[in-house]
Amino acid sequence: MSMGTTAAIVGVYTTQQGKRLGRTKLSLEIEAFKGALEDAGLPHSRVDGLSPLFAEPWSKTHMHWAEQLGGRPITYLGTGQGEGAVAKAAAAISAGSCQVAVLWVGHAGGGNSPGSKPRLDSAPRFPDFHWEIQGAYMTPLYALWAQRYMHEFGSSAEDLAQVAVIHRDHAVLNPESVMGPKGPITVEDVVSSRMIADPLHLLDCSIENDGGYAIVVASEAVARDCRRDPVWVLGGAEATATDVYATFDDPWFPEEGKAVRRCTDMAFEMAGVDRSEIDVANLYDCFTITMLRNLEEMGFCKLGEASDYVREGHTNLGGDMPCNTDGGLLSNSHNSNPSGMSVIEIVRQLRGDCGARQVPNAKIGVALGQGGSIHGLASTVILARD
Amino acid sequence: MSPSTYTKPLPAISPENQPFWAGLRERRFQAPRCKNCGDFGWIPYVACRTCLSTDLEWVSLSGRATVYSYSIVHRGPGAFNDDVPYVLILAEMEERPRPMLVLAQLTDCPLPEVRIGLPVTVAYTDVDGEDVTLYSFIPDRDRDDETGH
Repeated sequence: MSMGTTAAIVGVYTTQQGKRLGRTKLSLEIEAFKGALEDAGLPHSRVDGLSPLFAEPWSKTHMHWAEQLGGRPITYLGTGQGEGAVAKAAAAISAGSCQVAVLWVGHAGGGNSPGSKPRLDSAPRFPDFHWEIQGAYMTPLYALWAQRYMHEFGSSAEDLAQVAVIHRDHAVLNPESVMGPKGPITVEDVVSSRMIADPLHLLDCSIENDGGYAIVVASEAVARDCRRDPVWVLGGAEATATDVYATFDDPWFPEEGKAVRRCTDMAFEMAGVDRSEIDVANLYDCFTITMLRNLEEMGFCKLGEASDYVREGHTNLGGDMPCNTDGGLLSNSHNSNPSGMSVIEIVRQLRGDCGARQVPNAKIGVALGQGGSIHGLASTVILARD
Repeated sequence: MSPSTYTKPLPAISPENQPFWAGLRERRFQAPRCKNCGDFGWIPYVACRTCLSTDLEWVSLSGRATVYSYSIVHRGPGAFNDDVPYVLILAEMEERPRPMLVLAQLTDCPLPEVRIGLPVTVAYTDVDGEDVTLYSFIPDRDRDDETGH
């Protein structure tokens, strides 16, 4: 079933993204919320669907924002990664549950990096088998994945590093990116940067910063009257297959794939689009290894062959499927839940708003979110312009 | 009991997993095994992942495992930063059929000897001043000799 033109992204907005902005979460959220509605040309009184990307499906967050918007009934309460939340909002719109849904993130302070973990005077208690009891955090967990991947497929540190180099090249062309102003980097820069958790160096890791963003999804009837041309949600799905960094799998790289494969296959089937038709992609690159695995799991190349695929230049601007043209999580922004940033970059590419990093004549794009576990929670959305 | 000097995170022991942590105190590393279908499961869940039976029993494992993957960590969160470099592994337990990968530190192992496939065995550490015993892994020298490494 193709979603076709039943729902579209009609508004997007990103606040400043930066290391520490001195802003509150709420101030970033309200700026993003209003900015995306203004981009769409819709008054806030039209909003009847809320999808905060940091929330439980039923939560105080939805209720706070229902009141903020004037105390009118909100009839769609969603959440998820950016990609999955767009897909679910589109499905809710197509079912008649709402007409205009807003998805957003605001993040100020804190994070996943080791430097953000305080030294304490006494031992905090975590759930029984929490990774932090073992001294793990995101980088070592993904490093375990990278180490096993390199062992099974003979990939090198340089193979991983090329991802960071390409995404930085793209960030340099994105004036809003956090790392673009620092200029391009080389493979040598990446592999000689400080080792954080072997085999992942500092420059194999995403950055960590503050920032907010919002996305407005609307029905076709609303979308046709919005300020900007609609970007249609052709298909999208989410999948989860495991718990939050507690259970780990053997085999880690099954030929048939896991959650990323499932939601991507579903999204392409719903969209009625072939992988070869994708003009631009933005795939959750929290670490360099994640990008390689994304390309394989999504079916853009074969298992174990992502290093060659990247080396052949497919993912560069100028390649046949430029990826992470904003610089990605590695060089644009990781604002704690940056999954929707990928959606926004695809919207901007399809609108032709990307200036020096514009993919010429981009018509169809795909975005992938992942996380919550290593490829254990994923969502894919396929977008297109008329 | 002397006041604790341990400031890293410790487990909040859940009622379901209390037997596991009590077992560590007695130098037993246990995993839940399904009495209905016979499958082990790690980490512990209240029902079998294969057949969803809640008829589980805690079974002492051999403690023998093999390094499935590792990372030498050079930047640690909070108090762990005093320990760098330290080694995190996924230890694949010997028992089957469902593979059990245990996330833990590998200690007493020179860094150049850390490798995928290294035979390891469970080790136990009583935390001073706390009613908790933690698990880690150490190289299993006997088995390493057996396999010719």
